[in-house]
Amino acid sequence: MIAYNKTWLANLRLRDEVKKNLQQGNISKAEFDAITQKYPVGFYSPNIFVRIGLFILTCVIMSFGDGLLSLMAASGNIITSFGWFFFLGLLSYGGLELMVNGQNHYRSGVDDALLFISGCLFSIGFGIMLSDNNYGTHYLPLSGLIFLLTLGLTIRFADMLVTAVCCISFFAFLFFVWIKIVPAGLSTAPFMMMLAAATVYWLARKYDTHIACINYANSLVILQVVGPAALYASGNYYVIQTLSAEMMHQAGPVAFGIVFWIWTMGMPLICIAFGIKNKSVILLRMGLIMVTAAAITFRTYYHILPTDVMLTLAGVILIALVYAVIKYLKTPKHGFTYAEPDEVMLADQLKIESLIVAETFSHAPAAPANDNVKFGGGDFGGGGSSGAF
Amino acid sequence: MADNLYNNLHAEGLISDESLQKIRLKEQKPLLFSIHWEIRTLLYAGVLMLTAGLGLLIYENIDTIGHQFVLMLIAAICLGCFYYCFKNKLPFSKEKVSAPNSFFDYILLLASASMLIFVGYLQFEYKVFGTNYGMATFIPMLALFFIAYYFDHIGILSMAMANLAVWMGVSVPPQQLLLNSDFDSETIIYTYLVLGIVLIAAAYASRQFKFKKHFKFSYQHYGIHVAYIALLAGYFHYYSSILAAAWILGIVLLSFPTYTDAFKNKSFYFMLLVVLYSYIALSSLVVRLFLSVGDVGGVYLALLYFIGSGVGLIFVLINLNKKLKAA
Repeated sequence: MIAYNKTWLANLRLRDEVKKNLQQGNISKAEFDAITQKYPVGFYSPNIFVRIGLFILTCVIMSFGDGLLSLMAASGNIITSFGWFFFLGLLSYGGLELMVNGQNHYRSGVDDALLFISGCLFSIGFGIMLSDNNYGTHYLPLSGLIFLLTLGLTIRFADMLVTAVCCISFFAFLFFVWIKIVPAGLSTAPFMMMLAAATVYWLARKYDTHIACINYANSLVILQVVGPAALYASGNYYVIQTLSAEMMHQAGPVAFGIVFWIWTMGMPLICIAFGIKNKSVILLRMGLIMVTAAAITFRTYYHILPTDVMLTLAGVILIALVYAVIKYLKTPKHGFTYAEPDEVMLADQLKIESLIVAETFSHAPAAPANDNVKFGGGDFGGGGSSGAF
Repeated sequence: MADNLYNNLHAEGLISDESLQKIRLKEQKPLLFSIHWEIRTLLYAGVLMLTAGLGLLIYENIDTIGHQFVLMLIAAICLGCFYYCFKNKLPFSKEKVSAPNSFFDYILLLASASMLIFVGYLQFEYKVFGTNYGMATFIPMLALFFIAYYFDHIGILSMAMANLAVWMGVSVPPQQLLLNSDFDSETIIYTYLVLGIVLIAAAYASRQFKFKKHFKFSYQHYGIHVAYIALLAGYFHYYSSILAAAWILGIVLLSFPTYTDAFKNKSFYFMLLVVLYSYIALSSLVVRLFLSVGDVGGVYLALLYFIGSGVGLIFVLINLNKKLKAA
């Protein structure tokens, strides 16, 4: 079961809950301190910057340490076999258990890095073990093994990234099993995957508030993100078309294409509708991402408008839409508000938004380095013909 | 569950009647679902698409549609957006002025981006600035700085800084500086160094003169990264000459004030930057020393050094973190 101290995890949840009320000024600082005295949390979990620093340093230590060990063992024939990777993976895992149980690290960067490294090493080991130096990569056993590995790690450490890998490898494993054992598996695979993804999402929603899963809240959130994503992907026209071209060598349109087109276009809207109806942040955001995916899918097959006109129009429509929504929500309606949430966000402190804006908007046409170069045509860089045919 | 939680805390005497009352009041209010960040993201995407679309529109149709028409269109968008911002802005102050709404932020961004496109287009088609390329980048840069200060917009401040770099003659992002140090790199390294120092100076000036203090972080963030990368690139560029020592000295000189400043402002972010960049510099020196041994023993020593120093640095970071918290 979970490696971290359960009492401290419970206290940490309580502390987070109470902290919201401290920020909103419902309880005093003295009360908050009294509560944290009574319900101590012994974990070492520093702030995000220290966490990043420790993550990087742990990766440095582990890579050079593994390098040193490999160098020492290089004289024998040992490091060419997959067993060596398992050995190194086990070392990382041992370090992880030591850090978590001995030093009480919890999301400190050290445990994140060790978990990440040991997972990667084991996966590489599995990959080498199953591939026999020719082309037949063994996706089925490989995805199965990675699923089992990450499932174990998820149950033990409830890490978000590992959960995501676990979920994805589970879907991959299902897919490969299905097309192997079921006749005409490939043509029915999309529907099977839809069913599987929907089931995963439904289970994640069902056990979201369940007492048994209380320490796995983050993992369940990840399942609620990966589930809809897989659900959408399994019926997306582009995915289906690419897969049928790859695996059955059928170029051209897909059979029952219309079904998948309806799915590609309708699913995002359904997702957004449910997100608004149930006030679910995850579904709403997933829906917005799916709209983007649907637009790109459509553009891949049909060019109704040239790119430039389409981008301009889409931009104008989006801005107008947002303007309308802001006007509509001047006073909060139906439990929706446009005001900033009153939780202090880390992104705000770091001014992430301004960084992203600067990254994407500051590409002014660069001046030539020396003054005797003439500003020739097509100096804007980028592809595209200059229309001089 | 939350209900029970506060009742229990109250029963244990950990929260007063008054606080419990406040919490009850809060719970009775309907919980509002905030779509603030979703809206902001959509706006960002909209503005990005519109500006990309306009840029492409010009690029694709540069020979077919009338230039005047395109210029008019862009100017109309630009002026319309600026008009909206002037109409809705809050009065200027030396302190932080928050935007009247999110829409304002992005309309201002659209105005600035279309202004850049407009100026670039003018220069490309009509050679307004002739061959005086310095002016062609200097004017938009000044305008951006002015807009950033006048409307208090950090995103545009970052754009202005990027344009400052362009005006100084480096349009290479600093990431590339370390990767390919073969083209004309001395000038680029020195320019970057000057740029970094200018930005750091601007950061301190912002705080010293209490003029838009909250801009300090952005200036410092860019300045520190650019300066460190320029110094490291300089060190590797002059690796085999005696000048390398001067660059290392530069890193030391940069680290001390940044470190004390990070302590003063309790900034974990800048402390981490100082630690990591200094570590890179130190490690390059140490590895150099070990590799000069010239046999496999040097490699072993270097590997051992990384393991040991990594462990040591973890302790350093943890302790610095404690110190900063207590400071």
